[in-house]
Amino acid sequence: MTPKLDIEPGSSTAYHTGDWRTRQPVYRNKWPPCSQTCPASEDIQAWLALATEQHWQAAWQKLTERNPFPATMGRICYHACESACNRKHLDSAVNIHAMERYLGDRAITRKWSHKPVCDTPQTQRVAIVGAGPAGLSCAFQLARHGYPVTIFDAQAVPGGTLYSAIPDYRLPKSVLASEIDAILALGIELRLNSRVGKEISESDLRDQFDAVFLAIGSQRPRQYPGKESSRHRVMSGLEFLHRLNRGEQIALLSERKPKHVAVVGGGNTAIDVARCIRRLGAEVTVICAQDSHGNHHRELGTEMPASLQEVIEAETEGVQFIYRAGIRRLVRSGEHLSGIEIAHVDQVYDRHGDFNPVLFDGTEEFVPAGLAIFAIGQETDWQGLEQLSQSTQADGVWLGGDAVSKSKLAATAVGSGYQAAMSIMADLKGEPFVFDTHKKAQITFRQMSLHYYPKQSRHEGEVSEQRLDGFNEVETGLLDDDATHEARRCLSCGVCFMCDNCWHFCPDAAVIKKAGGYGIDDDYCKGCGICAQECPCGHIDMERLTG
Amino acid sequence: MDKRDPFRHNVLTSGHRACSGCGEAMAARMVTDLIGPDAIYINATGCLQVFTTHNQQSAWQAPWIHSVFANAAAVASGVEAALRAKGKDTPVVVQAGDGGTFDIGLQCLSGMIERGHDVLFVCYDNEAYMNTGVQRSSSTPHAVRTTTSPPGRLSQGKHHLKKDVISIIAAHHMPYAATATIAYFPDLKAKVEKAMRIKGPRFLQILSPCPLGWVHDSALSVTVSRLAVETGLFPLIELEHGELTGVMRLAEQKPVEEYLRPQGRFKHLFGSKAGAVELRHLQALADARIRRYGLLDADTQWDTACAMQSVRHGRGGYASSMPTSEAVKNDT
Repeated sequence: MTPKLDIEPGSSTAYHTGDWRTRQPVYRNKWPPCSQTCPASEDIQAWLALATEQHWQAAWQKLTERNPFPATMGRICYHACESACNRKHLDSAVNIHAMERYLGDRAITRKWSHKPVCDTPQTQRVAIVGAGPAGLSCAFQLARHGYPVTIFDAQAVPGGTLYSAIPDYRLPKSVLASEIDAILALGIELRLNSRVGKEISESDLRDQFDAVFLAIGSQRPRQYPGKESSRHRVMSGLEFLHRLNRGEQIALLSERKPKHVAVVGGGNTAIDVARCIRRLGAEVTVICAQDSHGNHHRELGTEMPASLQEVIEAETEGVQFIYRAGIRRLVRSGEHLSGIEIAHVDQVYDRHGDFNPVLFDGTEEFVPAGLAIFAIGQETDWQGLEQLSQSTQADGVWLGGDAVSKSKLAATAVGSGYQAAMSIMADLKGEPFVFDTHKKAQITFRQMSLHYYPKQSRHEGEVSEQRLDGFNEVETGLLDDDATHEARRCLSCGVCFMCDNCWHFCPDAAVIKKAGGYGIDDDYCKGCGICAQECPCGHIDMERLTG
Repeated sequence: MDKRDPFRHNVLTSGHRACSGCGEAMAARMVTDLIGPDAIYINATGCLQVFTTHNQQSAWQAPWIHSVFANAAAVASGVEAALRAKGKDTPVVVQAGDGGTFDIGLQCLSGMIERGHDVLFVCYDNEAYMNTGVQRSSSTPHAVRTTTSPPGRLSQGKHHLKKDVISIIAAHHMPYAATATIAYFPDLKAKVEKAMRIKGPRFLQILSPCPLGWVHDSALSVTVSRLAVETGLFPLIELEHGELTGVMRLAEQKPVEEYLRPQGRFKHLFGSKAGAVELRHLQALADARIRRYGLLDADTQWDTACAMQSVRHGRGGYASSMPTSEAVKNDT
């Protein structure tokens, strides 16, 4: 027989140690630097997390919530996200652009279709001028929310700059076409060959639609301000790319085929043009007024605007670069161009910050060239839209895309289309417009415990050996295994990935694990701060208790 | 019974009076949750006994006996013999601090091992008598400041070396003896589970930082114990029948200074000539331990980087009788 104890022991849980603490842990999602930098505001961490568990379609859906062009952007975007990736402080950045392309390609081969967000159709009609990335992105968001959308475009093919100015080796036309088809399949009406002011009038747009979004891009090349112009031996970069994309590659260099071509400009268009010319079989020199990457002279911020990755690729393909050089004059022999005289640029920008190079006398050099292509920027052509372009959101007219933004990245245009769509919908519903307030809480690698992540090498697509033989794509996509590996490399900065560290390490059993998350039991948490210290991704903050 | 957490038993539950950030409470919670509530726990006198059983309130949700300081191993021997006589195979676990193991409890422990009792003896090593006010023990490392080894003009903290207790235990022809620390949960889990599979006397020495006695920020308990391993001062090893059968390789060796800096008990070593000598001495002790156990060149994939790795959805939880996270998710 068990003797009965006089004193029954009570449980220590009756004693609340929670009132000892002066600080308390708080679980808080942060906004990782990749998404912070992404011009299209993609929630990169979220779709990589879904890809980690090989929920490919869910990952694609999460990604396309913000950007309906993953296969396109995965190829052509200059991935600012990767330069911001915290993983570069551990080994090297996650290959985000390759993952984006992988998901986009998977969607195309498996013919995944976009799902509408709301089933109830809206009655207010929206017109979009321009079927480029901004216009299509805006149309996609509106159509997903049930709005009837009509897009007007002056060209015969949709895609805007994505179609006309991106060479095939970076973006095959079929990929772009598939993604545009998937967007249009949401029930968007597309009217091609319809220039506003010609086929349709401004007042018709205003009368027939409740809102108008102008995303006409910047299609007019900036002209070389030089006095002389030899019509067929000087060309703008955009014109060259347009003609090439229309299938005129043979005609371009056939008559008196020039051996040397000079490309003037330091932006991404200049690099695109130069790499195309290498594929057409000519030598090419890029003349750039700015400095090369990572090589600042006495002024700051004079680095060439082109993406470093593109410059490296171009150098590999045999493109010559001359930095800090300005154009003195075009040198002719008779009707034909024989070259360009260049001189050292002392100062690229004047004190107002405008591009206004100062050339030094006596530093002239001769660059042989049978054709000069000027890729020195582009402007917006407002012809036919004089009234609408002066209107504001109060009049029901929104502006977006390259036409209004300083950065001319395709992803910026996609982001601008998204923002316009959200603003238009809020306006049509009569609600105030708030945009991405959660983007404020940033996280840096210093707030994270990087020793909890093992070093893992970055996986890349394969680079084609015969890249100069034609306009085939230079890089292949990721294989299935590589894609899973790359997704798992994501550090999940600032967003809990259920590693259990806080739960294991709490000395007071005050962290309670639940299905899908953790909670702090305030009755017992002593506020030691171990959970926040040992959280790999910086998801937990310690806050001082007041009062 | 407290059943707040669906994923573990909380054999050592909340409401105990350990200091904020206590490494010993964390270690005891991990070990007892890995073993589960179906075991008999014998506790020597020490911090763990004092802070878990206060004023008629117990934090233990399993059978638990408090013995005196010296005889925990002897009590466990008796419990195990009685269970054997009754034909039961309930696991018996002794928990003791470094005082109850290295100093006061050593002869009873030696006897228990020699008689071959089927008992797991867990030593939570916090390297001094913390409960009574931080007096030196034979576990206190060289050059540490305690209240009974104060640094001053003639002394740089404790003069003597830390007792190599794991070698003494292993010399008993011990079936299983291992060292572990709270910073590497997967390693601790593997060692507890391995110990529970082996019959006969088993011994675990778990380094458990004490924010009060080691004088570091309460948030740094895990960090400090990780650095103890990464510098080589506390090698993680397994010994079976006296033979070295497993080590955790160091992915990279860190200088001892990284471990010593955050701890106030080593503060006197920085900024004086005599202290600099002791810093070199401690570095040499770490190097000697690394050489002795081959911590840098051991032929194993199990290294400090691998054991540290955080993965999505965790690296395993507690006793196998608990539901998996999938099961709970489907339930709700």
